[in-house]
Amino acid sequence: MFAAVSSASLLGVEGHLVSVEVHAAGGGLPGFTMVGLPDEVCREARDRVRAAIVSSGLVWPNLRVTVNLAPSSQRKVGSGTDLAIAIGVLIASEYLPPDAAAGYGFVGELGLDGSLRHIAGIAPSVAALGDLHPVVSVAGRHEAEVVSTKKVFVARNLREVVDALKGEAEWPTPPAELIPEEFVWSPDLADVRGQHLARRALEVAAAGGHHLLFVGPPGSGKTMLAQRMAGLMPPLSAADALTATMVHSAAGVRLPAAGLITRPPYRAPHHTSSIVSLVGGGTASLRPGEISLAHGGILFMDELGEFSPSVLDGLRQPLEEGVVRVARARATATLPARFLLVAATNPCPCGGGAPGACNCDDGAKARYLRRLSGPLLDRFDLRVPVDRPQVDELMIGVGGESSAVVAARVLAARDLAFLRQGFLNASIPSAQLDQIAPMDTQARTMLRTELERDRLTGRGYHRIRRVARTIADLDPIPQAVVSEENVAVALQFRVSLSPLLRGRAA
Amino acid sequence: MSSLPPQAYAGALAALDRITSTRLGILLTESTPEEAFAMVAGESQPHGLARQLFDVAGLAAAWRDCAARKTPERIWEQCVELNIQILVSGDAGYPAALRHDPAPAPVLFVRGSFDHLNGRRVGLVGTRNATAAGRETAGILGRDLTANAVHVVSGLARGIDGSAHRGALSVAHGAGPIAVVASGLDVVYPPEHSRLWDEVGERGVIISEAPPGTVPEPYRFPLRNRIIAALSEVLVVVESRERGGSLITVDEARQRAVMVMAVPGSVRNAAANGTNDLIRDGCPVVTDVRDVMMALGLDTCRTGAVSYDSRPKPDELGSEILAACGEARTLDQLVLLTGRSLVDCAMSVGRLELSGWIHQVNGWFERAPSQVFLA
Repeated sequence: MFAAVSSASLLGVEGHLVSVEVHAAGGGLPGFTMVGLPDEVCREARDRVRAAIVSSGLVWPNLRVTVNLAPSSQRKVGSGTDLAIAIGVLIASEYLPPDAAAGYGFVGELGLDGSLRHIAGIAPSVAALGDLHPVVSVAGRHEAEVVSTKKVFVARNLREVVDALKGEAEWPTPPAELIPEEFVWSPDLADVRGQHLARRALEVAAAGGHHLLFVGPPGSGKTMLAQRMAGLMPPLSAADALTATMVHSAAGVRLPAAGLITRPPYRAPHHTSSIVSLVGGGTASLRPGEISLAHGGILFMDELGEFSPSVLDGLRQPLEEGVVRVARARATATLPARFLLVAATNPCPCGGGAPGACNCDDGAKARYLRRLSGPLLDRFDLRVPVDRPQVDELMIGVGGESSAVVAARVLAARDLAFLRQGFLNASIPSAQLDQIAPMDTQARTMLRTELERDRLTGRGYHRIRRVARTIADLDPIPQAVVSEENVAVALQFRVSLSPLLRGRAA
Repeated sequence: MSSLPPQAYAGALAALDRITSTRLGILLTESTPEEAFAMVAGESQPHGLARQLFDVAGLAAAWRDCAARKTPERIWEQCVELNIQILVSGDAGYPAALRHDPAPAPVLFVRGSFDHLNGRRVGLVGTRNATAAGRETAGILGRDLTANAVHVVSGLARGIDGSAHRGALSVAHGAGPIAVVASGLDVVYPPEHSRLWDEVGERGVIISEAPPGTVPEPYRFPLRNRIIAALSEVLVVVESRERGGSLITVDEARQRAVMVMAVPGSVRNAAANGTNDLIRDGCPVVTDVRDVMMALGLDTCRTGAVSYDSRPKPDELGSEILAACGEARTLDQLVLLTGRSLVDCAMSVGRLELSGWIHQVNGWFERAPSQVFLA
């Protein structure tokens, strides 16, 4: 007998439909073979499926069973096809009627006791099933419902699926659990004392989509500030929310109880992270890396200079294109990676501080800063000096505005930018700057003087204009023309990293 | 061969591998440069004190080899081309201050006029990584000493040294600056000082123990410092950390009974820790040029040129910020101190920066010096 059952497998953040073909025939020795490029985990389904069927009180056929995962040229990874293989075996051994699985797609791993388990990548796998009714584990239900247009069926174990397919029982109704209002700790900007310049930088970065680099000694609050960035960003758009959910699902990162990610994600990889963990790849399914997990949200890289140079270079292409193409010998995947980069670095190995406080010799300083290659530094529209807040401000100062107040301004400014040019200010092409961000005479004079004094490069000039545009959009009464005040503030977000690199840094 | 002056042979001896000033001294105590070179080149038998040197393992062979490559003719040609003079201990022009030094420099390479070495001389040294205030002080002292016909001795390094020389050069007709460097006179270090280097060479004098082409290896700097100390009648340290090259110069000065003076700095300024320590240990304080002149025994004193400041007067907030920038401030500190908004402060520092009142490093604002001493 022959059976074909639908399931799905994962590549990058995309699922693809897999047709599980099972052939069971008498004659010859009984046995179980799997073909169709399964990976190690997938191949082990043999033993899981056999045990699950027997544990569920069903009969393992005394036949020669061949399983083919079609299309056979594509690598199948993971244990998501377990359930489909089990159903296929049961159909092929004529325990289930031939059309029992028609119209269903099965995604789930089987335990040896026959229980149905949650797997990573439910969302993209279910999306690949298209018009089929997904059958998933109880835990995967919300995730599946986010992407599926059809009714999602759930079961706790193989027996329940078989009974429902035979028509002997109804599909189990999922427990009507209340989705608990998840407590998400989101740090508030009101906790930050002082740091006027850095607060403003966060607001500008969120409003204009400008990448942000904090430069300051240890203990000056760079991490604290960066953590508050996510709270300033508006909720994800429907498309971004879906993409973010897909990415998190594919990477096996826990999703919110409701299944859909609606808040911009915040990822903070450690500086020892490998290039694969950052940009993705590594497993046969080309698991998405941190930069994809940060899609639509924030990637915070503390101690930027301590990341390995190859990791930093690996960031350049995604920063430019918003996607990362991970290519391996067997497969290529395009993973989404449009994120806001927030980074922090010390000005020199000793941490720096006020002029004269640094103990590093010139060579050590130059070596330290050389790791931050020019092309990467060029990506940061905002380079903000941070220093430890004054004692007075820490002790008696009042906190500034709360995140909610700032987020409202940010949202208004982003709306304004989308209305005006259809994209965020950070992406304004230099050719359109005069049209989108015209300056008044004083502002022009100010920038002209900076240019003439060689304190601003051509590229730096365009960056300042984009940032000044965002600052103008954040004004209580947004102005069409960028003023001198806007430019003066924008110029403060342009710390030169060292006198040694002065020529390159501006 | 006989047409070459003895200085050419001395220069070739100084260019030998593994030569030190002690070995050079031993070679030249009992022999003329020509005789010493003949011994080194293997053309005559070593005799006298020098004989022991040739017993050092491998030295004789290395020297013979080197003498064949760097001949006196080549060294002399190079020096003539680069306009470098060679001074040998005992020559008429050889600085008197070095003649009886405990660690003498038997051969010196000189660019510029060594007449400058005969005037009154004050050493001005300090850290390479100096604050703007420190560099300003060095510049002002350099200027005022030069205006009072006192030669400024320093090392042409980054930071304090460079500013002291810049200050000295800002006086049109004064005592020429004296620079002692660690590299060969044609190897400019640090590279950004090449213009300063040339100007000092034209209007003052640059001295080095190393023959042309020598790169500034780290060990040469402490050796250079001993010559700075030896050439100074008074040594003024402007800014120094607890441990630093300028404190080596201080030690060398003390061994030679040269008076050491220090410019006090803020206790919160790490770059002044070394100088403040010197003062705690009893070192006389320098606040302006008169202190140094008194120490030299010169009581008449012209304070430098009256400076006319061409910068536009800052407005009210500008003056407030300028007053606060006496020590380095961040923009956040300025917001706190003035009680004005971030935008007002940003505007104001922007204007002050443009008109040259303050300048910014790594987000810190410092009052800019009134003159052009800054590197």
